[in-house]
Amino acid sequence: MKKMKPIVRGLLFLLVGAFVGYGVGLGLDVLVGGRVNFTASIAGYFSLLIGVALFFFGLVGYRTITRGVTWQIFGTLGGALFVTGIRAIMGLKTFVPPFLFTEPAWVFGGLVGVICFILGHGVADDWIRMARGVDVPEHREDAPGWEKYYSPSLDHKVIGIQYTVIALILLVVGGTFALIFRTELASSGLQFLTTEFKLFNQNGLQFYNTLMSLHGMIMIVSILLGIAGLMNYLVPLLIGAHDMAFPRLNAFSFWIAVPAAVLLLSSLILGGFDTGWTGYPPLSAKAPLGIQMFFLGVFVAGWSSILGALNLLATVLRMRAKGMTAFRLPIFVWASIATSIIAMTATQLIGLSFQMVMFQRLFGMGFFDPAKGGSPVLFQHLFWFYSHPAVYVFILPGLGVVSELLPVFVRKPLFGYKWIAMSSLAIALVGFLVWAHHMFTSGMNEYLRVPFMYSTLLVAIPTGVKFFSWVATLWKGKITTPMPSAFLFVVGAIVVFLMGGLTGPPNATVSTDLHLHDTYWIVGHFHDTLFGGFVFPFFAALYYWFPKATGRRMNETLGKWHFWLMTPAFFTLSLGMMRIGLLGMRRRIADYDPLQGFDATHLVLTIAAFAIALSVLIFIINLVTSLKRGEPAEGNLWNSRSPEWQVASPMPAHNYDTPFEVVGEPYDYGLPGSKYVEFAKK
Amino acid sequence: MTHTQNKSSALAQGLIVFIFLAVLTALEFGIAILLNSIVLLILVALVKAGLVAYYYMHIYKLNQEDHGEGHDSYAYKTGTNRLGLWLFLLSDSFVFGGLLVSRFNLLGMTRPHLNQLLGLAVTVVLLVSSFFMNRAETSIAHGDKKGFLNGTLVTIILGLLFVIGVVGLEWQLAKIEEVIASKDVVGGIFYMMTGMHAFHVLTGVILLFTVWNKGRKGLYTAEKHWGVEAATVYWHFVDVVWIFFYPALYLIGAAIQLAA
Repeated sequence: MKKMKPIVRGLLFLLVGAFVGYGVGLGLDVLVGGRVNFTASIAGYFSLLIGVALFFFGLVGYRTITRGVTWQIFGTLGGALFVTGIRAIMGLKTFVPPFLFTEPAWVFGGLVGVICFILGHGVADDWIRMARGVDVPEHREDAPGWEKYYSPSLDHKVIGIQYTVIALILLVVGGTFALIFRTELASSGLQFLTTEFKLFNQNGLQFYNTLMSLHGMIMIVSILLGIAGLMNYLVPLLIGAHDMAFPRLNAFSFWIAVPAAVLLLSSLILGGFDTGWTGYPPLSAKAPLGIQMFFLGVFVAGWSSILGALNLLATVLRMRAKGMTAFRLPIFVWASIATSIIAMTATQLIGLSFQMVMFQRLFGMGFFDPAKGGSPVLFQHLFWFYSHPAVYVFILPGLGVVSELLPVFVRKPLFGYKWIAMSSLAIALVGFLVWAHHMFTSGMNEYLRVPFMYSTLLVAIPTGVKFFSWVATLWKGKITTPMPSAFLFVVGAIVVFLMGGLTGPPNATVSTDLHLHDTYWIVGHFHDTLFGGFVFPFFAALYYWFPKATGRRMNETLGKWHFWLMTPAFFTLSLGMMRIGLLGMRRRIADYDPLQGFDATHLVLTIAAFAIALSVLIFIINLVTSLKRGEPAEGNLWNSRSPEWQVASPMPAHNYDTPFEVVGEPYDYGLPGSKYVEFAKK
Repeated sequence: MTHTQNKSSALAQGLIVFIFLAVLTALEFGIAILLNSIVLLILVALVKAGLVAYYYMHIYKLNQEDHGEGHDSYAYKTGTNRLGLWLFLLSDSFVFGGLLVSRFNLLGMTRPHLNQLLGLAVTVVLLVSSFFMNRAETSIAHGDKKGFLNGTLVTIILGLLFVIGVVGLEWQLAKIEEVIASKDVVGGIFYMMTGMHAFHVLTGVILLFTVWNKGRKGLYTAEKHWGVEAATVYWHFVDVVWIFFYPALYLIGAAIQLAA
């Protein structure tokens, strides 16, 4: 028999695993529930987990990631059975339909599952050895070929690629969820997500809510992992470090994001939840079991973000090349610092707020229950203290990419370097003081409204600084023609983010926000900021640095198709959302009154959403085919001054063969005789 | 590691700082009984935290020069590790900050009715443990392995005593006073704050045990003992958290009588 390709074998095993898991789950559900339910949660749960485990088994055999997922399955079951056993001794309910285990059992099991993933995968092995006093070599050789991407590699470039790939996978998953509920919204009335629809113990409306909520959080996690991918890959290269400051912590930060993603996805199957991504109590205190998996998943993903940010700050502060002083750092590094300051500190607050709801559900602690003296508004304060600065976490690296690439493509110095560097920090720091603008309608103390309105409007100043700099940099620039895809996406990012920025102040202003709150206007606004601040720059960065990472270029024709399909479709989508929002379309709901006259716009929005999905599909086809068949990339492809382009691609472990010294300004493009870095003679 | 002090003066300094902390704790208790002034209580807590951060956690080491050594030297790497640890503590303090905010938002100027004597006792236990941990670290920094092992062991025992005091005793006594997690938000806040702190104490004990075990095998020297320093700083951080949690739970505001 001809040897099968690993990916084919993996997919085959996936099918087998999904089938077997489904059977096992179905059997267990019948045992507990006493009747046959073909769409039982537990059947879907086992189908997903065993499917994923066998997929990786087919891909790499029983080691690293396969072991991790397998251990996670057994850990979850073991933890759940442990709690169930204790409950049996205490005389409480043990096995209950429809989810087999009780809620405390699932929560404990989920947590044990994450720990078991880490132990099984082996990313913490070195630490365990160190704790036992066994000598651990500082550097470790990577497995050859593809396998290093499944194993706990310490190379920041490998980890950066791992992050980017899982971010793209989650982007596709979250996007698919959006397409499903977008299809339902295409016309008024309920089409297929009806009350007769049954899946995973949810009817159509509940399933709509779950998809809508998970679309939000999966995209957020995807963005967090995406920026982590960019920062991990780029920052050590840009500052001339041989790796991150803490390579083992770096690997750990990535690998806990994997079980976190599994937990997040399992919330869809274990009953779902209906709170939206914000998880406000009291609704989240009453939502189905899925919300606990959601909380747990976000909590673990949050730790990934915190530890990654910590590592990045330490790297920038301690590992810079000679001469890389504060104001010679690349702008992307400044943006990463600003982002990491927020991610490292504020993330704790979303973790805490979710943990408190979790405990309210498990132990009846009444933090957010007014009947017990609690306050739902407190949750919103804790939650938004992270979740507003979080949007700056999402966009700052992207804006950094724009500032980084713009001078390369217009062959001119970046206008106002210091102002741009400081504007990132200013956005991050002001960002800590604006959270309550999400709560103008929440019933918080009214005297808080005006200060938060002004602090929020203040954000427009450093953001405006960035725009002035970009426009001034473009002014009389020698624009590279034909424009490469990376540059197209940079320009797209500027235009889209401008729209996102301009639609912000009406939401910050109390008088207008009272009307705009919770409408599609808001949905249009934040999709604009996140596409302009993350999606477009992310694609720009991928087109730009893909050759660095792989040694091959991406296809320019497909890149242009991607851009020219996505950009108009996205404009249609966001402007359409804002239009019906202003006319009174409520966000998050599954249906709307045909008399409101939104049917036509919603249909256009749905078509636009599918066009964006198609463009992303083109991108992914481009990415995969270019890996093997892309035109080889040689030398300084973009004629960049940045150190990573002065050496051959792809770069070896520990990066530069000879160290470099910074001898000039980073963005003096077009100035004759100027130099940024000088490599030491061998 | 720069030796600006000899061993006995370093130990004496640790003792003097401990005496200051003990006096401040007594003062704190007195203020709560006699004046009940929240401003003074916060001030005392800040002074205590400052003393611990400077003399026990050696925060000033973050600012130490690297003497032009290469990025691969042990000293430079220890500097990087130290920075990473402090960044972690900064991040972690946001959890405790969030809990304090929740406590004052929900309970305002009231507090749960708790056993004052036990509260003071566990506070003293934690403070004394910090003193012994300081001794242990100072010992290994001067190459005294035995002093290090003994100091760490006493710290571990005191740490466990603290956990037993809070979880084993205080939680049971609080239940009698009707401070119950599922009953109302007073109980919720009390168990959440003490539970989160006790969890950190437990992780600290595990770290200390790891360090003690490695010390027994002779893996630390006067020059190379980053592991000890890390565990020590973490341990003192847990103490600093309690320096704020103790007044927030036991001293500030008026006690609510929940028992009918």
